[in-house]
Amino acid sequence: MRFPYKGYAGKILRVDLTSGKIREVNTPKEWARKYLGGDGMAARLLWEEVGPGVNPLGPDNKLIVATGPVTGTIWHTSGRVVAVSKSPLTGIWGEAHSGGHFGPEIKYAGYDMIVVEGASSKPVYLSIYDGKVEIRDASHLWGKDTYETTEMIREELGDPAVQVASIGQAGENLVKYAAIITNYHDAFGRTGMGAVMGSKRLKAIAVRGFGAVEVAHPDEFYEFALEGHRRVLESDQAMELRRFGTPMLVAVKQAIGELPTKNHWVGVFDRYHSIDAETLREKYWVATKSCFGCSTACKKKHLVRAGEFAGTFTGGPEYEAVFAFGSSAMCDNLPAILRLNLLCNKYGVDVISAGKTMSFVMELFEKGILTKDDTGGFELRWGDYHAMLEALDMIVFRKGFGDLMAEGVRAMAQRIGRGAEKYAMHVKGLEISGQDGRAHRSAGLTHAVSARGADHMRSLVTVDQLAYWDTARERFGEDKVEGVVNGYSEAYKGLAVKMHEDAYAVRDSLIVCWYTVGWPPIFWMDDFARLAYLVTGEEAFKDVREMWVIGERINNLKRAFNVRLGITRRDDTLPERFTKEPMPAGPAKGQVVNLDVMLDEYYTLRGWDLKTGLPTREKLVELGLEDVAAELERLGKLPRSERPPEGEGGVGEAG
Amino acid sequence: MGWEVVFVAQMMLLITPELCTGCRLCEGACSFHHYRVIQPSRSRITVVKFEDRGLDVPVTCLQCDDAPCVAACPTSALWKDEESGLVVYEAERCIGCKSCITACPFGGVGWDAETNSILKCDWCGGDPQCARICPTGAIKWVRADQADDTKRRMVALRMQEVAQNLMAPKRAGV
Repeated sequence: MRFPYKGYAGKILRVDLTSGKIREVNTPKEWARKYLGGDGMAARLLWEEVGPGVNPLGPDNKLIVATGPVTGTIWHTSGRVVAVSKSPLTGIWGEAHSGGHFGPEIKYAGYDMIVVEGASSKPVYLSIYDGKVEIRDASHLWGKDTYETTEMIREELGDPAVQVASIGQAGENLVKYAAIITNYHDAFGRTGMGAVMGSKRLKAIAVRGFGAVEVAHPDEFYEFALEGHRRVLESDQAMELRRFGTPMLVAVKQAIGELPTKNHWVGVFDRYHSIDAETLREKYWVATKSCFGCSTACKKKHLVRAGEFAGTFTGGPEYEAVFAFGSSAMCDNLPAILRLNLLCNKYGVDVISAGKTMSFVMELFEKGILTKDDTGGFELRWGDYHAMLEALDMIVFRKGFGDLMAEGVRAMAQRIGRGAEKYAMHVKGLEISGQDGRAHRSAGLTHAVSARGADHMRSLVTVDQLAYWDTARERFGEDKVEGVVNGYSEAYKGLAVKMHEDAYAVRDSLIVCWYTVGWPPIFWMDDFARLAYLVTGEEAFKDVREMWVIGERINNLKRAFNVRLGITRRDDTLPERFTKEPMPAGPAKGQVVNLDVMLDEYYTLRGWDLKTGLPTREKLVELGLEDVAAELERLGKLPRSERPPEGEGGVGEAG
Repeated sequence: MGWEVVFVAQMMLLITPELCTGCRLCEGACSFHHYRVIQPSRSRITVVKFEDRGLDVPVTCLQCDDAPCVAACPTSALWKDEESGLVVYEAERCIGCKSCITACPFGGVGWDAETNSILKCDWCGGDPQCARICPTGAIKWVRADQADDTKRRMVALRMQEVAQNLMAPKRAGV
């Protein structure tokens, strides 16, 4: 049977590495209708198949690589793809998105998703080539970095256009924040997806497809796609992003006092100019690149031409790497940051978690909580980039103290004790990205409530931070605009985060990029509704209200996945640094985050229980998630105050 | 196939690899124009990528004047249209010998396994969609006799940027 919607391939590839079985199953039509694709469909699959007892690094965990209906079309930024699994770093919902050309190739190969389960007894890689799917030996690739792996697989398959998603040594050694790297420069960065691959002894997934992506309304779609590209090309900010890439945020964030410095102690870095986009462009830029289907072209290639790190050629760094290895670690040596970025790509490591782990250790040394006696003689001090390079090597190969650093800051703090937790910048075990709720209140709430932990990609509101008055007025109305746009006020931040979280869930399921949706604000829900309709042909998608429901449904499902694992309001928190230590300097001096006010508003708008943060039966049923409500009830994970409706038959009070 | 556009002069696709970001929108638009689906494997233009070097080069038929493919074709399925400058492909005459693929010095001719015919740029009947969608100007649809001028202007713009960078420290009073 042909899949009723266009845009999708209509098939899911399922690979069991324990048995070596490979099979194709149909993409459930209902999933497309209720969850769109990408993040949403993967959430449904993970909810159904990865129960609370599953060890993230055990054979029962599943690695889902998912595309959306828009993936591989010529819509602006249609090159995105998401990896979803239970995270070995956080123990909860894990997801990481990648750009590049890997996602579209999966679609051309005829699949909406690839689901890998089980574990192989020896190193293997998965090859999907022109309809032929094979589990191939990877003994000769084990121990190689992602660059070598990509080259060797392309050579082996005799086709340099094969798209390769691989792990480096970090994934093999189960570094908890190991990344999956696609074609040298793009990454499924966060939540340790690389370690999940490593635990399955899956070195790489190599894909080459020769098929087509169809759209339901070709002519209208084509014109809409061209209009979309035009809107991007006419945006000054998008073109500035093309010129400088995401590191342009270094100067922007310095100006508003939100450039996390000294392990998020303060939001200004006096030597920021040494690591900002102007310096990067002037001294190291060599080429501007883009992911599949993208008019923005924010990707940069940089080369260090002279000095200690001469010869370093790297894709990126993105802003997050510059902040994590730069200001957060008090390091102003840009070539060293480029070197660290390159090595993270080669070893397959999440730059944010790696940088934040290093700055955590630096602060522990400063505070005297750690000494050389604890680390076997290794010392990490602010800005010491030689030691940082050594630390990265120790982490990846789990050498000495690196074995502990490879576990992430939450686990380190638990092991070290002595008050170290105070300096561990994480939420739910995920190291905090390059924002600071004290200077940008909605970012604080975003970090606190995001499904994968201290995340900036799932609900970061930029219209407040960068004062987009017109956009804010459109989205929130005249009466709320002043409150929303004030980054130092908690006002309406629950509303703003909830709205953006739902919109971004749609974005992550279509899938399109953060950039030109999150920032600069070019595409929004009306565009998504039109796009989803034109691509898939589903009439119901035309209605923007349906898009909002889908977004909300996906977020409730992800929440339910976490709730099933024990997450409650207690976990929706921030390190004390943000809630108790007033910002010591810069434009946001004196600011702290009043998280509870924002949480109350957020839960209220979500229709979740205020006290526990648990989704209510009413809300889940409203969203068509009856089975999810029933499962949570069975586990006693619905709010206590809620009584089951009459006639449900004697289950009694849950919890 | 008939011409939708009457040319005042011969046109060409001017390709400037250093402006190419490797997004492959050209491949998507090309396949869309010809098959109404997005299928890069059947595009008549291909971005050759050297990711490890940060290099992307769009490669397509250059519509040579003295075209090796035309010379190699035993059935005159390929012939040069002197007026427009296009090397025209007539599938009905093609016997699928692939001599054109062998003869082309640039890799501008491909093979379509779905239809057993060649993949060769036809300028989309006069409005090449690759040039229309290219977001950086790496592929431009220009008059052949003015292509050098287009190129000069692009180079001149870059020189201006270089000059401004050189001037920057002086302006800042350094």
